[in-house]
Amino acid sequence: MNLIKKTKLWVIASLLFIGVVLMAADHLDAPAVMGTTADITDFYAFEGANTDNTVFVANVQSSLAPAGNSATFDENVLVEINIDNNGDLIEDLVIQAISRDDFMYFFGPFAPSSTGLNSTIDENATYMGKVEISTGASAATATENGISYFAGLREDPFFFDFTQFNAVIGGMAPNGFNNPGNDDFDGTNVLSIVVEVPNSLLGGTFSHPAGTGVEVFNTWVEAKRRQ
Amino acid sequence: MKTFNIKYTLLSILLVAGLTSCNNDDDITDLPQELDFTGTFVQEDQMGRPGINTVLSGTSEIKDDFNVTIPSEQVATFQPLFLDRAVALHAAFGAEYETNILGLDAATLTTILAADVLQVAPDAPTTYFDGTNVLTGRTLTDDIIDISLVLVFGGENGDRFNGQDTNGDGTPDLPILVTDGVNNSGETPLNSFPYLEPPHSL
Repeated sequence: MNLIKKTKLWVIASLLFIGVVLMAADHLDAPAVMGTTADITDFYAFEGANTDNTVFVANVQSSLAPAGNSATFDENVLVEINIDNNGDLIEDLVIQAISRDDFMYFFGPFAPSSTGLNSTIDENATYMGKVEISTGASAATATENGISYFAGLREDPFFFDFTQFNAVIGGMAPNGFNNPGNDDFDGTNVLSIVVEVPNSLLGGTFSHPAGTGVEVFNTWVEAKRRQ
Repeated sequence: MKTFNIKYTLLSILLVAGLTSCNNDDDITDLPQELDFTGTFVQEDQMGRPGINTVLSGTSEIKDDFNVTIPSEQVATFQPLFLDRAVALHAAFGAEYETNILGLDAATLTTILAADVLQVAPDAPTTYFDGTNVLTGRTLTDDIIDISLVLVFGGENGDRFNGQDTNGDGTPDLPILVTDGVNNSGETPLNSFPYLEPPHSL
């Protein structure tokens, strides 16, 4: 990023515009979770450097300016990556992550005993791991059973002119977006959970629902709070 | 809160006995024994594809409801609302939705998008859209905003609203709706785990 110098301006701007907070990709997407520790900001899934693996990235807690480096994972919030292996939109496997003290603990992939809005952690999961939560430039990682783990503060990879987007959908920008636009997420951080999993542990695939013929699984992420 | 958990301890022992591949200093057996992972966790937020709830849910109430609806029930409830939203977004610019670059009409597009899950191909290139592969994953540098805008506003060629000067007077006559004008040039993810860049610091 070449605009780190804008950082302090960003901090000021974010304070000024706290009522018009950013919500994009899934950042602050809805009033009930906006700005809470259960706010998912983004979800990525891609082929790992080892092409036999798939990488899942779940980011939470939006638009942490560098001043927000002290932001911490909530020990009452379970981040759950769901995998659907047959296309019925119901999870067949889950990977769970939750923090305790200075570590993030991981369970799965495993087949959950029940699906849907409520979850419990399976402490008997075959695959488990933990990693120290990283707070600075150095990334602590761990690997168990071929599964790699990371949790901690990272640069938010999302890029979007969200301010102009709001103007567009608010009917205040008859000319649409600007060229060039302004990346409202430049200079911000986010709390990341990264898991790289061998494809052999991720279950089966089905033909892409859009009819492209590519074999896929479905995945999505949920943030769930302990009751 | 901190309850001794015998199941966990037993499992840790089993892991040591059974999994010879555990060769890391951060082995799970290092767990403090008083950790408590019990309880029921209830959903507050969810996400599959980027931007779906943000763009296609038209009200705060819809956004909140969407986050606590499981994917298998999303299409029935939210496809009609997303369709209304897509129509309204076009109407604001005096236009109607036009079948998009993938040949999808508004009803079909919103049906696909209302099931908010991300398809991932374990044995093919993973990308949101790279010109060839479509919806096979999402990388850290995929321009998912532009892709989404093209799918919704781009029409059959993908460039329907891109600031065109239709009457040749030197000023744009159509709005720019197929790109936000921000690309991925500022993002330089790592080539290896954990891939994401180190955080900014003051």
